[in-house]
Amino acid sequence: MVLVNYFLGLRIDQADSVRNKKIYLISGIIVNLGALVYFKYWNFLLANLVLLFSSVHIDISFPYMEILLPLGLSYYVFQFLGYLVDVYWKHEKAEKDLLRFGLFIFFFPRIPVGPIERAGNFLPQLATTIQFEKSNIIEGGKRIVWGLFKKLVVADRIAIFQSAVMSTQEQQSGITILFATILYTFQVYADFSGYTDIALGTARLFGFNLMENFKRPLLAKNMGEFWRRWHISLSSWVNDYVFTPLAFRHRSWGIGGVFYALTLSFLIIGLWHGSNWNYLLFGLLQAVALMYEYSTRRMRKKLSKRISPLIYNNLSILFTFLYISFSLIIFRTNSFSGASNLIQSIFTHPGHLFYDTPATLLFILIGCLIIIMYDIQSEFKIFRFSLFNNKSWVIQQVSFALLIIYILLAAVFDGGQFIYLAF
Amino acid sequence: MVTQKKENKRPRFLVRLLLFIAIIFILDFSIGSLLKYLYFKQDSGLLYRTTYALDSTRAAFLIFGSSTANHHYVPDILSQKLQMSCYNTGRDGNTIFYSYAVFQSILKRYIPEQIILDINDLEFMKDEKSYERISSLLPYYDKHPEIRSIIQLKSPLEKFKLISKIYPFNSLLFTIGAGNADFNKEREYVNDHNGYIPLEYVWKGALVVDSFKMNYQLDTIKRNIFESFISKCRDFNIHLTIIRSPEYKKQKFEDSTIKIVKRISDQYNIPFYNYTNDSFFLKHRELFYNPGHLNDSGAKIFTEMIADRIRKTNKGLINK
Repeated sequence: MVLVNYFLGLRIDQADSVRNKKIYLISGIIVNLGALVYFKYWNFLLANLVLLFSSVHIDISFPYMEILLPLGLSYYVFQFLGYLVDVYWKHEKAEKDLLRFGLFIFFFPRIPVGPIERAGNFLPQLATTIQFEKSNIIEGGKRIVWGLFKKLVVADRIAIFQSAVMSTQEQQSGITILFATILYTFQVYADFSGYTDIALGTARLFGFNLMENFKRPLLAKNMGEFWRRWHISLSSWVNDYVFTPLAFRHRSWGIGGVFYALTLSFLIIGLWHGSNWNYLLFGLLQAVALMYEYSTRRMRKKLSKRISPLIYNNLSILFTFLYISFSLIIFRTNSFSGASNLIQSIFTHPGHLFYDTPATLLFILIGCLIIIMYDIQSEFKIFRFSLFNNKSWVIQQVSFALLIIYILLAAVFDGGQFIYLAF
Repeated sequence: MVTQKKENKRPRFLVRLLLFIAIIFILDFSIGSLLKYLYFKQDSGLLYRTTYALDSTRAAFLIFGSSTANHHYVPDILSQKLQMSCYNTGRDGNTIFYSYAVFQSILKRYIPEQIILDINDLEFMKDEKSYERISSLLPYYDKHPEIRSIIQLKSPLEKFKLISKIYPFNSLLFTIGAGNADFNKEREYVNDHNGYIPLEYVWKGALVVDSFKMNYQLDTIKRNIFESFISKCRDFNIHLTIIRSPEYKKQKFEDSTIKIVKRISDQYNIPFYNYTNDSFFLKHRELFYNPGHLNDSGAKIFTEMIADRIRKTNKGLINK
């Protein structure tokens, strides 16, 4: 795939007519999406085709294949597509050095879980000579430690609780399911952003700056803002290559064009996560929220002027967080019935809160609190005193040493995989 | 001028890096040593029971296994009926690895007369969790060289991880803290009865019918350790009884582990009491805490049954 995309990039760049450029671009899109569909969506498509035919009483059968999904496929297919489109739009020149192009795609820290890098950001960095910079080691090291904290201390600790609750879901009380649902949002955030921090930190050690993937998403005041802060490399990719061209093409439809582009964009985001209807529904829920926000933006602006900003902003953060947690119920369950059972049990199962052991609960709460406090401080700069970014290197060193010690004390060293590795 | 400045900065960076590593080592050593002191200072609770089993018990009759061992056998009843001291070493969530490690440590100090080894369904199933749970033995790595081979089954890197003084006490911070606090000692469930922890609840759910035949990959390491446990008992002339505890669950298919246990116990001529689908217990929901565990009343009745059976076997052995 590297070879095919490398040559197609050169061809698009060198083609003498717009028609030829288009032919090469379309070939690239077919090859890349074809690989993605084959490896990731083939059985899903066949299963739904069988269902479709059986609904009109036609029995057909296809041989299902056990296809091994290549590691990080969804990430680098989108990277290939972005590169080809950028060359087609003349935003970037085609890369002539094959090895450099290969490294752009398969730079090791970001193979499994991204971020989905852009040619404009990364290829120029690969062309420069790498020099030892102590600031790269320090900043890269800090980022890795912070990522390890998020993944091992917070995400994997919550995962133990989730597994205990979800394996006995029928016996759990509504309050426990609700607690697990809220914690799942923290788990996914800590897991995915933790990996991103490790990847970005590792790249920094070598002197490379990968694009940011998260910008304190749990402090978003609406869903639009959330998607500008969450999995930024995917959401900005879809924004640049799907939403904006579609909305522009259908601008004559007015609000309908925006809604159409939004729906399609979020269906792609949903489907990118996996070959299941729940991911499509997850995407649709995001689109619905954004359409609501788009159509009520004037009314909400008026409302915000009548209420104290402190209350309005905090309530907005809370409602956005709750909506994300709700949509993640659909994200985590493989079927509609599973999702509806989970939601139903929140309201119908009486009983006490199950929290495993008091130690588990304390570790989880402390971990979540540290993440939230860190994000709040980065966002609002409430405290003048900062531990991890203090001007005194002694305070910085001791703070990071203490963070490493806390990782040794509280991390789950026998934890599982990264959640986004499955996508 | 610029080159000179850069040269000056590089050693300063290295000094700071070394200082950072030194801070981590000092913190790790001091906090780890404090946790070790507090861990072994506990005189009640879950962690203390493992320490007591490894370092202190001298009971003639020992019970080994996981939660079904810990909550199903009442040592006071066994002591009274069999006229010998008894201690329950069972620990929730553990497997044959834990039982064998504790057994090996005990054999270093003395030879017990009689042992019950409680075995669960799926005991020999290959799963990562069983290996992860070996971490409950990490605090004893330094003092007990006889259990190191079991700990290293967790991962070949374990001895390197143990360079950290904190690592053996990972995830135990609050448990150790609570174990040393006075309020904790007053809580009822902390106080054991020679290792036994009673479960006080009556199960209200329906009888579980398991008609699913579970095929799983067998872990030969677990099976071999089980055989080593039996061999050690034979070598030291310890009377071993293997038991599969009752459950409030009707099983249509016999579990693969139980089949193997049956075969091995026959081979070594070891009594194996299999309470799978036991008609008495299936009729008495009030004796259960949940489908997998007996409550205190159930444990007392079950222990009486076991004591009677063992007494008969012992008599037979004496007569022989």
